[in-house]
Amino acid sequence: MRQSIFLELAAQGARLPIGTDMVLREQPQPEAVAEDGQQLGQVVVAAARRYRSPLAIPLMDLTLEKAWILAMLGIAPQERETYQFHQPPGPQALETIRKKLADPLPTRSQATFDAVAYVAGQTDLTPLGMAIGPFSLLTKMMPDPISAIYMAGMGAGPDDEVEVKTALELRTIALEVVLASLQRQIAAGAKAIIVCEPAANITFFSPNQLQAGSDVFERFVMQPARQIKQLLDQHGVQLFLHDCGELMDPMVTQLASLQPAVLSLGSSRRLWEDAQLVPKDVVLFGNLPSKQFYSDELTPPENVQGLIRELTARMRQTGHPFILGSECDVLSVEGCHEKIKGKVELMLNGKAPFQPLHTG
Amino acid sequence: MADLSALQQAVIKGDRANAVKLTQEAVNAKVSPKEILDQGLVAGMAVVGARFKKNEVFVPEVLIAARAMKEAMGVLEPVLAKAGIKPAHTAVIGTVQGDLHDIGKNLVAMMWKGANFGVIDLGTNVPPEKFVEAAKQHQANVVGLSALLTTTMPAMKKTVEAIKAANLPGVKILVGGAPITQAFANEVGADGFAPDAATAVDVAKKVLAA
Repeated sequence: MRQSIFLELAAQGARLPIGTDMVLREQPQPEAVAEDGQQLGQVVVAAARRYRSPLAIPLMDLTLEKAWILAMLGIAPQERETYQFHQPPGPQALETIRKKLADPLPTRSQATFDAVAYVAGQTDLTPLGMAIGPFSLLTKMMPDPISAIYMAGMGAGPDDEVEVKTALELRTIALEVVLASLQRQIAAGAKAIIVCEPAANITFFSPNQLQAGSDVFERFVMQPARQIKQLLDQHGVQLFLHDCGELMDPMVTQLASLQPAVLSLGSSRRLWEDAQLVPKDVVLFGNLPSKQFYSDELTPPENVQGLIRELTARMRQTGHPFILGSECDVLSVEGCHEKIKGKVELMLNGKAPFQPLHTG
Repeated sequence: MADLSALQQAVIKGDRANAVKLTQEAVNAKVSPKEILDQGLVAGMAVVGARFKKNEVFVPEVLIAARAMKEAMGVLEPVLAKAGIKPAHTAVIGTVQGDLHDIGKNLVAMMWKGANFGVIDLGTNVPPEKFVEAAKQHQANVVGLSALLTTTMPAMKKTVEAIKAANLPGVKILVGGAPITQAFANEVGADGFAPDAATAVDVAKKVLAA
């Protein structure tokens, strides 16, 4: 797929909420759908049709890769969600994972990859993949990743602090499994992949430490991310990099240096200012405060159009390629579904009808 | 001679080894355990909390300081217990059912511990009945509910309802987390809302004094 596709979408004034969860939750049995590739694929397609989007965007389910790792290590399904490594997993764990990467996947991961294949094989939509980034995955696997990262940033090594050792070993495992996930999705037909690194932010990395010259962000986020980019480049697949965390400017600059086709940022950022930090061929995406759409107090419906007008006008002034979107996955909230759906609809007002992409 | 200002600095810097060493020295020097706690450890965390409020330090520095305090408390707690000194208040805290996020909850727990609250941390994905049970068992003054996901806010409402239905005298319920607002706190009947971890101590003290 050509990187310029996203530039063309930006030039057309595309509006692309990420909101497959909204459609999934409208199904009579959403959990069953999420475990069936064809049905999940149909939901992904239905979401693209609802949003009049040429891109089929999967669920942003950032639990899949962790569950896959733990399945390979023999952790029982009911323990996977809350399981954490209190000690370094050890070289044996990595070896086990490498041996088992080709084994059958957990049901939900398989369904996710099958859904990509369904879109690629059965529709005129452009199939996108989705994966958690290695750093964010690491943070889900240990009880206190923040302190471990901070100590690593202070110069502590694996022999100094057991938590640093745990973090380093989990970084290796996380990267290995994310790369395997990407390969499976590429094989299924994904033309671009959304890699989500929401934990690469100032909660996990101290701005004081980074300003003092620590390379910890480089070691834990950027180095693995470059390996991801390299893999995607090898297959002609575009990187859609998503980080809705609170970021420092140098973090944005570093993420943009990966040359993703799209850089998706959270609503804490002013995209029109970020346009100065990001190369002109990297499309900025986002960043309507969709996490607040459940609340009319935080985001009254009448303000949504105003936010859209302001954001699009400011981005037009910068001349930077931009696609209006949600700051993150738009999630259905019990009791607020219709309210959220209505606000997403407001994003689509005036949007041109669907046109399939010629991905080349 | 025990140096409580050095102990305070060790906590501020997150220097675990020194915090433990200086606490042990103070205990050995027969300094009152209350004095070690208040003028060394709690005072250090108060400085960190104040700097956090002003964005001079960030989450990692708070966690590192709290770890130093926790390790030093390992030395001090038996001495406090022997002297019959108990925390000023008891708090139960957890992330509500369906939500596995713990950073905000951990920060509030550390801030409360730093302010000499006894804290029972129930972890994440905590069902309403577990909050009720823990509040009863530990005779809590405060129950703190955390949620990061908008999708788990209904679980927060159910938890508040369960605690209220249990009719526990004197228990105040505080809610917080990224999607939570004062309006939501009012709507679900919480006694207080902490917009961030830095204010959680003030909010807890305010509702307890009310």
